[in-house]
Parts: sequence; structure tokens; C-alpha cells
Amino acid sequence: MLDVLLTAISLSSGMALAAAGITMIYMSTETFNFAHASMVAWAFYVIFTLHLFFGGTPYLYFPAAALFSGLLGVIIYFTVNRWLLKAGATMVTLMMSTLGIDLILYGLLNSFADNLTLTFKKDARYFLLPSLDLKLGTIGATDIKLIHILGLVIVIGVILSIHTFLFKTRFGVAMRTTVENPTLATVLGINPEMVYLVSWFIGGALAGLGGAILAMVVPGEPRIGMVFIVPLFSASIVGGLYSIFGSLLGGFLIGISQQVGIYILAQMLGSWIVAYKLVIPLAIMVITLLFYPQGLGGIPWGDILKKLRGGE
Amino acid sequence: MVLTISPIIIQIILYFAIFLIVTLSLNLEVGYAGIPQFGRVLAVLAGAIVAGAIPGRILAFMIGERYGADYANHLYNFRIVNAITTNVLAPNPLLSIAILFVTLALAAIFGGMIGYLSSYPALRLKEAYLGITLLAFGDVLQLIAWNYDPLVGATQGVNVPDVFRWIGVGEGRFIGATFTLLGFAILSYIFLDLVARAPFGRALKAMRDSEVAARVYGKDIVKLRGQTLIIGGAMAGIGGALWTLYTGSMKAITFSRLTWTFWPWAFMMLGGTGNNLGVLLGTFVFSTVRTLIYTYKELLTAVIPISPVWLEYILVGLAIVLIALVRPQGILPEKPVLTVPRETIEEIRKSVSEEKK
Repeated sequence: MLDVLLTAISLSSGMALAAAGITMIYMSTETFNFAHASMVAWAFYVIFTLHLFFGGTPYLYFPAAALFSGLLGVIIYFTVNRWLLKAGATMVTLMMSTLGIDLILYGLLNSFADNLTLTFKKDARYFLLPSLDLKLGTIGATDIKLIHILGLVIVIGVILSIHTFLFKTRFGVAMRTTVENPTLATVLGINPEMVYLVSWFIGGALAGLGGAILAMVVPGEPRIGMVFIVPLFSASIVGGLYSIFGSLLGGFLIGISQQVGIYILAQMLGSWIVAYKLVIPLAIMVITLLFYPQGLGGIPWGDILKKLRGGE
Repeated sequence: MVLTISPIIIQIILYFAIFLIVTLSLNLEVGYAGIPQFGRVLAVLAGAIVAGAIPGRILAFMIGERYGADYANHLYNFRIVNAITTNVLAPNPLLSIAILFVTLALAAIFGGMIGYLSSYPALRLKEAYLGITLLAFGDVLQLIAWNYDPLVGATQGVNVPDVFRWIGVGEGRFIGATFTLLGFAILSYIFLDLVARAPFGRALKAMRDSEVAARVYGKDIVKLRGQTLIIGGAMAGIGGALWTLYTGSMKAITFSRLTWTFWPWAFMMLGGTGNNLGVLLGTFVFSTVRTLIYTYKELLTAVIPISPVWLEYILVGLAIVLIALVRPQGILPEKPVLTVPRETIEEIRKSVSEEKK
């Protein structure tokens, strides 16, 4: 049980960060970023490739993965998203355009993996980075790996730095203003384009960092992004789409309920159910959307608390 | 058959026919009714499951073979289906055609049911939220078909009795089947073109452009959305069933959201969302390009060091991005549909202007 829980926590850490990236981009540009799938997958390959070239522990290359996906975000903004926003494209067109970008990045990634396999005679279409992880100790029969701790540390670090950035710096306040009311923000002399650009960079970097954590938990393959994208959307939607911290929470809710929930269900019903574990995040998302279209943030917590207090 | 057609042309016609049916059904929902249908694969897969699970079982029951859960078991499935195809369907064109139509009817019913079920979220959610929800539904159905053995053999897939075998063996069969698919594609086109001209089609566009205005004129939004999703789902179901009957096997993994949701989106966007003729053109262009890439892949890989499989992804992606950026309305933009023949309109115009004098 402990190993299931530890894996669930590190998986959720990665998912939470990547989902926060989706929310970041959605909040400021109203773009549901399908290309997040490829940004996450490319992070796997950045780490794999750098490790192949330079050796050492994969953790050394986490910043590189974040930077790479962040730059992908910047490129996407400058080549596609910026022009569509200027033309006032609809939400569906914005979403479709990122899907197109995702297909391009996916094709390139696959081709990259093929060439890597050919050149270095090392299977780049399926690799296991988790086996390179450091073992910190054992509790009972369970190994405690570095990622189990580091995943959470990174999430806490990201929460603190994003919070400081959004609430303590001038630019962060400008960003929140733009999200709240773009027209009013321009009146105040805030350049929305700069805000969009920074959101794409941070969103991409979060995808990269999330992908880096995930790379230490699950096997890497080119289609890994496609596998994760729907649970990531679920996490972001469950988190309310307008709150970075909500989506982090959503990531943990989805990740842990998926891993631990399926473990408990498998104990009760038999192992055949494991194949359906992706249904859990989707079910959570659909239920959240149908009953609380605003996500967890849309549930009137204040009213519920008031009622509870009133009942005392 | 004396008639010989280049296999490249046959391949183009095949892709064109099957994707025309699916893309047209998508266009009805997206282009006409403004529903962001990101779960097209859902109804297509439902049709494919029907085609994989039902006709074979009916025939197996008829000849006294296993028709229960064992039918989908790969230990028996190949033998049973092979016996059905060679002994029952091949010498019996009428039965084959009857089975084809029964399958398509069932696929349409199941596809329509899927559409009806999707109308529950479709009435409550908007834009991207609805799109993501429908996408999630599609993934769930694929997961079930991929893992639940008794239905369509899960990862092993099932073989499907060949309803086109009576046409011939080998090449003749494929040519016959391809033209059957093309026939259905043409029928779908005519049907949707009539729908577009009918009051129903115009009501859909009114609803898409302004829900409030449509409601003011007494249009029942709930009913319109539901009907659109049912018709679209039924058509997509037929598409899925036809494809399964053509390929002669049903494997859930081939029904990915990429091939059956995102590609039709790309075809539709290229041709012109909301314009059936545009959709036809877009589908044709993509089918041709796709077939040519595959046919000349050796030549291509010599020039570009990218395998044609991935090159296809890159090209489709590039096409989507470029269309969104440069020509969001597509090659043939949407035009107001002419509901009565031009001569009649001219006559009316004349009589009106004469009255004014």
C-alpha cells in the first residue's frame, strides 16, 4: 500500500504542475492548450537525450526540460497564438490551432526518437528513467526514492514562487489585472502581449517540469503526452480553470484518486479493473463539469461554511 | 472484371468515401449547429463495435456456431468467421446485402443513441468545456472496447464476416467494396445537402449564430440540438460500421481520437466549415495528399529524413495551423444556401418589382 501511495504522490506532483501550466495559459489567453501533451513528452526526451550524452543523474537536467518546454511555449505564442488572439479567434479555433501544433510537435518527437534509436543503437521509443533514481532508504519492503520526496518539494517550491510572483511583484499584479479585465488593464498601461508571452513561458515551463517529474515515475515513450493530456485537462477543469492553486489541487485529486482508487477497486473487484483506471479522472471531470461547471472553485464554499456555522 | 483501376486511385476513393461520411456528419454538428464535437470517434466507434459484434453473431447463430462471449474469443473467432464468409455469405449475394443493411441500420441506431446521450452535456456546457467532455466520452468507450473481451475481442480484436465476398476474391472484392462505400458517401452528401436547404438546416444556422434570436422565433433549442446530435451520431455510426465491414476486422486501437475526431476536423476546416461542398473538397484534397505520401514514401524519405508516418502528422498539423491563421473560413467559405431554384427566385423578384411599378 505504501508503494502505491508514494507512486501516486509523485505522479500527482508531476500532473499537478503540468495541469497548472494548462490553467496558466488558459487564464490569460483563453486557449485550451492541446500542445501541452507534446510539451510534457518533449520533457521526457530532453532528459533522456541529455542523460545519454552527458550521463550523471537525470535530476541534473530538470531545469533544461523546463526551459525547453517554456521556450516551446514562447515559440507557439509568437508563431500562432499571438496572431489568432489579435484576430479575435473563437475559443474553438484557438483550441484547434494548438491541436495542430501538437500534431507537428508529436511528429517531430517521433522522428527524433527514431533517429536517436538509429544513431545510438539505444531504444529511444521505450525507456525507463525511474530505474536511474536514487534510493534514499527502505520502510518495510518499500524503497523510498528521491523522486517521492523531490516531487513534493518541487511542487511546494513552485507554489511559493508563483505566489510571490503573482502577489508581490508589479508584473504579477499586472498579470492578474489582465486576467481579471483585459480592457481595463490596457487603460492602466499594461501591455497584454507581454502578459500573454510570460503566461506561455511559465505554462510551458510548468509542463516541462511536470513532465520531468513524470519521467522519473513512468516509462518514457513518444505517445506519453497523448496518454496524459486528458487527465491533465481533467485536473485543470476540476481545479476551476481560473486558479493556479486550484489546478494544483485538481492534479493531486485526479492523480491520487486514479492511482489509489484503482488499487482499492482492484483489491475489491479483481485486477481486471486496472485496465480501466483512466476512466476515474474522466469520470471526476465529467461529474464536476455537469454539476459545477466552474470547477472546484465554483462550489460556493463560503455559503456552505456559513450554513454549517448557522446550523451550530 | 475486365475493368482495371490503378490501386492508387482506389485508395484515394476509399479514404475519400469513408472520411466524407464522417466529416459531413461532423460538419452538420460543428458547421451548422455550432456544437464543438470533439468526440466524433465516439459514434464512429459505436458503429464499428456494432459491425464487429452483431452480424457475425447473427450468422453464427444461424449456422449453429458459438455466438456467445466465445464468439469474440480469438481461439474460435477466426474459424467461425472464415466458415461464415466462405460457406454462407460468398455464395449468397442477397443475404450478404441484407446483412450489410441490417448492420448499417443497427449502427445508425446505436450511433444515434450515442448522439442522444451526448445531448445531456451538450445542453448544459459551452464551447471548449463541452468539447473536452465529449472527447473524454470517446476515450472511455475506446478504453472499454479495448479491454472488455466478450464485446469485440479486446486487444485481439475480432474478424468480421465479409459481406463483399460475393463480388469476388482479391482485388475485385476491394474495388466492389470501395465503390459501395463511395455510393454511401454520395448518398450522405445528398442527404445533408437537402438537410442544409430544409427549414431544419436554416434553423440550425440561426441557432448557431444567435441562440436568443432563434428562440424568439419559436425554435426549440433543446430539440434542435438533440436532433442534430442524433442525426450526426447515426451518420458517424454508419461510417464506422462501413469501415469495419470493409477492413474485415475490428480492433479498438485503430479507432483513436486522432484519426476519427481530429482528422475530420482538419478536413472540415480546410474545406470550409459550414459548407458541405467545401467539406467534400477538403476531404478529397487530404485523401489524395495522404495516399500520395504513402505511395511515394521511398522517394520522400530519400529527401526528408522523416518517416512518412510522422510526416503525415506534421503535414496535417501544419495544415490545421495554417488554415486557422491564414484562412479560417476554409477554401470554400460558407454561403447562404439557395432554397428554391434560381429561376423561381428570379420570377418572384420580377413579380415583386412589377407590383411596385
